[in-house]
Amino acid sequence: MSTRVPDTSIYFAVTEGIRAEANRLLSAGEVTAIVGYTTGRRTGSSQPIIVTDADDTARLCFSVTSVNNLAVYLTKAKKEIPKNGKIGIVVKGCDLKALVGLMGESQLKREELYLIGVPCVGVLASTVQPSTELTAETIAPKCRECDAHLPSGCDFLPDVALPPLPQLDGKYTAEIARLEALTPAERWVYWKEQFAKCIKCYACRQVCPFCFCEQCLCDRNKPQMVDTTPRPSGNTAWHIVRAMHLAGRCAGCAECERVCPMDIPLNLLNRKMAKELKELFDYEAGLEVNDKGPLTMFTEKDDQSFIK
Amino acid sequence: MQKYISQQNLNTLLDKLIAKGTRVVAPRMNAGIPLYEPLESSAKMVTDQLPRRSAKEAFFPVCEEIMSYEKEGQQVKLTDVDPARFPETVLVGVRPCDAAAIPVLDAVFSWDYKDEFFLERRRKTTVIGLACTTADDACFCTAVGLSPAETRGSDLFLTPLDGGGYACESYSEKGEALIADNGELFSEPDNSMPLPLAVPQADKVDLKKVKRWLDEHFEDPLWDGIAVRCVGCGACAFVCPACHCFDIVDEGTEKAGKRRKSWDACGFWKFTHHASGHNPRDLQPKRYRNRIMHKFKYYDDKFGQTLCTGCGRCVRICPVGIDIAAIVDEINKK
Amino acid sequence: MNHTTQHSFEPKIIAFVCTWCTYAGADLAGTSRMQYPANVRVLKFPCTGRIDPVFILKAFQQGADGVLVSGCHPGDCHYIAGNFHARRRFAAFRKLLEFIGVDLNRLQFSWVSAAEGGKWVEVVTDLTEKVRAMGPMVEFKELALEEQWSGVIDTPELKEAYNAI
Repeated sequence: MSTRVPDTSIYFAVTEGIRAEANRLLSAGEVTAIVGYTTGRRTGSSQPIIVTDADDTARLCFSVTSVNNLAVYLTKAKKEIPKNGKIGIVVKGCDLKALVGLMGESQLKREELYLIGVPCVGVLASTVQPSTELTAETIAPKCRECDAHLPSGCDFLPDVALPPLPQLDGKYTAEIARLEALTPAERWVYWKEQFAKCIKCYACRQVCPFCFCEQCLCDRNKPQMVDTTPRPSGNTAWHIVRAMHLAGRCAGCAECERVCPMDIPLNLLNRKMAKELKELFDYEAGLEVNDKGPLTMFTEKDDQSFIK
Repeated sequence: MQKYISQQNLNTLLDKLIAKGTRVVAPRMNAGIPLYEPLESSAKMVTDQLPRRSAKEAFFPVCEEIMSYEKEGQQVKLTDVDPARFPETVLVGVRPCDAAAIPVLDAVFSWDYKDEFFLERRRKTTVIGLACTTADDACFCTAVGLSPAETRGSDLFLTPLDGGGYACESYSEKGEALIADNGELFSEPDNSMPLPLAVPQADKVDLKKVKRWLDEHFEDPLWDGIAVRCVGCGACAFVCPACHCFDIVDEGTEKAGKRRKSWDACGFWKFTHHASGHNPRDLQPKRYRNRIMHKFKYYDDKFGQTLCTGCGRCVRICPVGIDIAAIVDEINKK
Repeated sequence: MNHTTQHSFEPKIIAFVCTWCTYAGADLAGTSRMQYPANVRVLKFPCTGRIDPVFILKAFQQGADGVLVSGCHPGDCHYIAGNFHARRRFAAFRKLLEFIGVDLNRLQFSWVSAAEGGKWVEVVTDLTEKVRAMGPMVEFKELALEEQWSGVIDTPELKEAYNAI
């Protein structure tokens, strides 16, 4: 049975489950901190929180605005979070794929994490107006193509059954197909218009769990490979470099796209690269902990039809 | 002196200005989002949505050239940008929160150093403000002492009327001149009533009290509490009508290139990174603290003004939901 | 008889080559007095594995009309596997550039060994003539002149630069 609108009523039970487990973990001293979501001032809003005291676990929640991929708080980029001891983290299925990737890249150790999984029916595409209801129109495009409503391999999963989920057509798939059907010149016009809006706020980079370089290539000036100013030229170079550096690593949490204040469809680039790497090397990011990604390994039989 | 202008006459006015070669900048759609950008026709103007970026870029561009260099043999030729070439501009449909930020920025750009890039654009621009009829729960202009009918920063101010068209009041010589030059498009006010203005929900904040608290709490657990989740992007500063930090870089080759000035943000790790490798704001809460301190304390110390007009843009777009209105309210209640 | 044809457009071709195979191959072409278009500017790297895709991007941004990346044949890499890694990386990068709207006819990859002076001549000549027929690469050059609207200063110099593309 399928419905048109996702039924989000399970999020009350999910919230209860997260709170109870977080309370147990912190009271028992099994973890030193829980990275989760809490409500904000604005109606319907939620935001990341790091809870270290069992008394504060009642502040944890999960709702359609719990969009953030909290994995970003566990990478090197965020040195502020104390890493002494095991850390509990609330993860949706899409976020878990990032954690899997980070473990593969030796950025995290499974035994240092306690994963609190979330049975998820979908979150909002945009949290600019957090009181928005979750519908087939407002749901995040990634949720339309989600294959991980129930994260697998977590230490804890609230005992909540998923309701019947709506069958929604894949927006990324359709948009990538539309762009692929254009001529290169037409695609250039499309991306030029999109990249021209970029103001180099680097929100896309800062929320990305995989952008954990201590110094980004695009922040360096010796040598300066990419112009740092927010002009069409440097913007285009930045977005090409970003997509290339995430190729084979990005598992599609789409945070880059959600946080872009200029609405640049960044995840289209990531999904396109994921699609190509699947076709070329039969590799999908985030499914299992691999110590090598598709661009750090090779086989002697790799395609070289494009090489003279 | 209050006048009336119909929507049609406003469009005629803008088209006339465009035809004359004046750059008319107004909210319009571009690649799916509303932005303040030049119009080629008044029909492109969209006033029912708050533009994603503020109007500051009309005076303080996202990125601008300030000088160019060219090397020939042993000679290096430097060419300054001549501000006299900046276009005459009419900035129209400006929200009160955006317009009010302009005189706030005047203070810093005409302080010990006169920034000719900002000041020349400012001199050449006429600002037509537009009263705000819609607000969401991120709006907090009323909390920082402004309102949806704030006229500060506007040369002309339009108030939408229930019968269509606008009540139009002039607040400067530039505004007077625009009316005088286009007298046929304006008429005497009739009896129509202004449309109901927006009502932001945020409680009024005692800015002096907030500043007093900030004076004494450079070190406070509040900063860690709020900003441990800040991921260190520059989105808040870049959409802000009042943030005005910039970076200067040289781009080009050994032979020729340009020196450019572009927006910078205190949230970036690199912002205070010294050449030595030392960073006095080494952790994100310290960087975020600077954002609040600059807006509600330092700018007040220096210029007696607050560097926030309550537009709520940073509240809406912060990737991790940091809410400056909630923070200021919390400080106010301490 | 050595007759040089006059062309109205001479493309700029940047070649990123590995020092062990293709550079030596190009050297062999030279010492064997083989003729190939002087449009190519060769940049020598230790290995194709060292050639970052951002170099290709930078070449286009700095005015290249075509880019060639060339190294040792599979199995011949001086560092055992550098070219295998490069092969995967460039397979992916091509797809990205194509999706952004770059015509892939301007980007050529090849394996040229130290003994293949003739192949070097062939690869360089083919790419040069292909790009010559396509005309100049204007996309990145146009982009380099574009500003955010707020930073635009309409000047005769800028108009001239635009027209010169």
